Amino acid sequence: MAKSLAAQLKESAPPCADASPSNYLFKDHPDENKWADCVHCGMCLESCPTYLETGKEQHSPRGRVHLIKSVAEGQISVNEHFADPVFQCLDCRACTTACPADVDVGGLIEEARGQVRKAIPLKGWKGAVSGFFLKGLFPHPDRMRTVSGLLKFYQKSGLQSAVRKTGALKIMPSHLADMEAIMPKVKQPVQKKYKDYKFIPAKGNPKARVAMLTGCIMDVMFSDINESTINVLTHNDNDVVLPKNQTCCGALHVHAGDRDMGRKLAKQNIEAFQEEGKVVVNAAGCGCALKEYPELFKDDPEWKAKAEVFSDKVEDISKYLYDTGYEKPKSTVNKKITYHDACHLAHGQGVRHEPRQLLQDIPGVEYTEMANADTCCGSAGIYNITNPDMAGAVLERKMENVPEEVEMISMGNPGCMLQMALGVQKYGRRSEIVHTVQLLDWAYQKDKENIAANQKAITMKG
Amino acid sequence: MFRSKRKRQTRKDVHVAQLEAIVGPTEILYEREDLLSYDCDGFTVHKAMPKAVVFPKNTEEVAAIVRYCSVHNLPFLARGAGTGLSGGAIPLNGEVIISLGKMRNLLSVDYENRQAVVQPGFVNLKLTNSISNKGYYYAPDPSSQYVCTIGGNVAENAGGAHCLKYGVTTNHILGLEVVLPNGEIIEISEDGIPDSPGYDLMGLLTGSEGTLGIVTKITVRILKNPQGKQTVLAYFDNVEDGSRAVSGIISAGIVPAALEMMDKTAIEGVEAGAYPVGHPDDIEALLLIEVDGIIAGIDEQIDEILTVCKSRNVREVKVAESEEERGKWWANRKTGFGAMGAISPDYLVQDGVIPRSKLPEVLRRIKEISEESGLRIANIFHAGDGNLHPLILFDSRVPGETEKALEAGTACLKACADVGGSITGEHGVGIEKKEEMRFIFTDEELEAQTRIREVFNPDDLLNKGKLFPTPSRCMDVKKVIKDTVAVK
Repeated sequence: MAKSLAAQLKESAPPCADASPSNYLFKDHPDENKWADCVHCGMCLESCPTYLETGKEQHSPRGRVHLIKSVAEGQISVNEHFADPVFQCLDCRACTTACPADVDVGGLIEEARGQVRKAIPLKGWKGAVSGFFLKGLFPHPDRMRTVSGLLKFYQKSGLQSAVRKTGALKIMPSHLADMEAIMPKVKQPVQKKYKDYKFIPAKGNPKARVAMLTGCIMDVMFSDINESTINVLTHNDNDVVLPKNQTCCGALHVHAGDRDMGRKLAKQNIEAFQEEGKVVVNAAGCGCALKEYPELFKDDPEWKAKAEVFSDKVEDISKYLYDTGYEKPKSTVNKKITYHDACHLAHGQGVRHEPRQLLQDIPGVEYTEMANADTCCGSAGIYNITNPDMAGAVLERKMENVPEEVEMISMGNPGCMLQMALGVQKYGRRSEIVHTVQLLDWAYQKDKENIAANQKAITMKG
Repeated sequence: MFRSKRKRQTRKDVHVAQLEAIVGPTEILYEREDLLSYDCDGFTVHKAMPKAVVFPKNTEEVAAIVRYCSVHNLPFLARGAGTGLSGGAIPLNGEVIISLGKMRNLLSVDYENRQAVVQPGFVNLKLTNSISNKGYYYAPDPSSQYVCTIGGNVAENAGGAHCLKYGVTTNHILGLEVVLPNGEIIEISEDGIPDSPGYDLMGLLTGSEGTLGIVTKITVRILKNPQGKQTVLAYFDNVEDGSRAVSGIISAGIVPAALEMMDKTAIEGVEAGAYPVGHPDDIEALLLIEVDGIIAGIDEQIDEILTVCKSRNVREVKVAESEEERGKWWANRKTGFGAMGAISPDYLVQDGVIPRSKLPEVLRRIKEISEESGLRIANIFHAGDGNLHPLILFDSRVPGETEKALEAGTACLKACADVGGSITGEHGVGIEKKEEMRFIFTDEELEAQTRIREVFNPDDLLNKGKLFPTPSRCMDVKKVIKDTVAVK
């Protein structure tokens, strides 16, 4: 009788194992305990947008984990062929939801990206773009405010319409020109508007004090959402603090493999919010990054402990409102609305029910659930700039699921909002893109107007 | 489209260039890093590198690839989602892997005749999802149904929790289009009419583990959703009582749609995984029982099941109160294998079948095997049809543990064979259990089956080294295994 497989394996085992076969050459390398949970079952495959698009294992979560592990086992080295699947990942975390064993694929990908960027620094236009935005701009609130001013000038001066007419956009890569077309109207950053406030007081008796992350891009491109967030918080009796020393959350840096910069920004934020008990965030990507700060300090017990204390304070705005209670608006918003789950809210923070409930508590809202609502839209930080083809393909799939008749698509992340706006424009849809808190804010505003109108009517009668 | 502009380091070999001419430059992989993801499937004990991976878009491309391989004497094999648990898609001989992942469409649905035609890369659960709005579903439901492909299901004759009542894949296949190992395209039962005269080729091909041909189109039976459905969860303080309850339910004349069992270690795993239900941590066994069919009669069956459970000293038994609760119980069960990752770095799943009456005896034996090997063994299984899945938990990083796990697996299968059972219920033989085929077949019986393979696959280029032990060439096989281990 032939020998069993076990016996055959035993005979062929190498006489001694290599002491350290790993091809990760830098500190902070992918954590063995993370991949040890993966048993290669493949339950993640169908959740992965890049696998669905390419059909190739190396662009699937389990394929990527396998590659990351193979570098540690010395089978392959950190080179371009390894970098490609690691950077094609959208970091959408859908696989962590699908995984029966809770393998932290996102964490592994980010650690692997750190190794790649140290081994192979970015060159060419990608390096220039990434360096300009990630190092030169986002971490500097003062520069961001300047940009805000410039953008406002660009839009208000008529320059934007002039540029659009001249066809200067035609010489830009098409995906960047597409993005220019959906640039939101830039308003005044809340950090500037409230710069003389110690805190923005609650409307009624304050029940709590919350600090708010104003964000980098958020406060430039989407300051109206920040404004709405403040309005909704104060309306529901929260004093709102905007700590001055806060900075960019670092999510984009960590996604791009610049973990050192990520740590620097994390430390600044941890300190900026040290005195606060609750940190409310209206951008899913930022919230998720803040909650994952401890990951960045695996090898630094002192900061890890601080990061853990900090991350416990972080809460998405929809969850905070849901947990602490909010006034249901009385005025109606008569709109057909659907909701898109931002990856870093649904998969990253497990927040799914709360924003949907919030929407459905607004009178008049006709809510329709979107099929595959928690599938990535392709925004993924700056992925839509660095990987336009894949981002476009993922967006196309997303748009196929948006119900035809909806007038508004609500969500909780600025990156998604830009990408979905692009989708709406590209596929000739008419839905408006809104942040969940904006809707609530509008309903409250309407309440206020109605009350004012009623009072006016009463006064006039009187 | 998504290929980055990177410098090719490997000089393309002539076969790769020819295969690329068939499928196009974006649909072939041949760089070492890209191939690495294809060095194993759901069976990870064994790894081997393919020569290339090709992604055909249609039957003609599959046939062209197969013809090329056949003419040039290149070993090749087909791969679906790569979730197989016996190593059927592992390229032992440096095969050209033909991935059917790009042939993933639902081609047509014929509600009137209750059948659907799918491409082999179409995902099992997507079929049910695509027809559920009309009140239909596809019955075979392997636990990996969220991701596994129907082509792979045909190759392995996959089962699933609900096969107790509805039968395994072979009972649901009505027609196949197959590319034979010489590149010829044939249709079996083209119009999906069952019981066509002549030999039952469909039966032969279903479960042939990719050794007789590559399925490129499948006509499957679809079923009307049952009118009603109820699910029971029962907790037992000892395995023996649980096992006796299983026999009791079946001998009471009830045919549940599903009758699943988990033991204590398995419960620890699923509760540590992503879909915990909150099972008590001190029970020894649980049963998940589902009854479906026309509404009239379901309540009586449930009452009877509750009575049987109570007579077998059940600690607690409850009926799912909502679809949500039912879904939770099933998600917890169906992700059970993967969830073992939460309590062990590696696992090896076995797939024995035994007569139901022997459950307590075999489970006792498995417990002994666990103690002898020093490895924990979790049991998740389709108790209703006696299909055991002992999950042997080990850590491949500890020298010697992989071998111990394999030995324990073999011992579990031996225990099944010894009571008159079989070494596989639904996962297939693949690489994993080919030697164990000797537990249930004589040399003559194996030889007879090998001769059938030779009719279809005379040069043994298609998925060589799977399914059967190779008596005359066992030295060759040993060499291959040595090589693959060296790669690992």
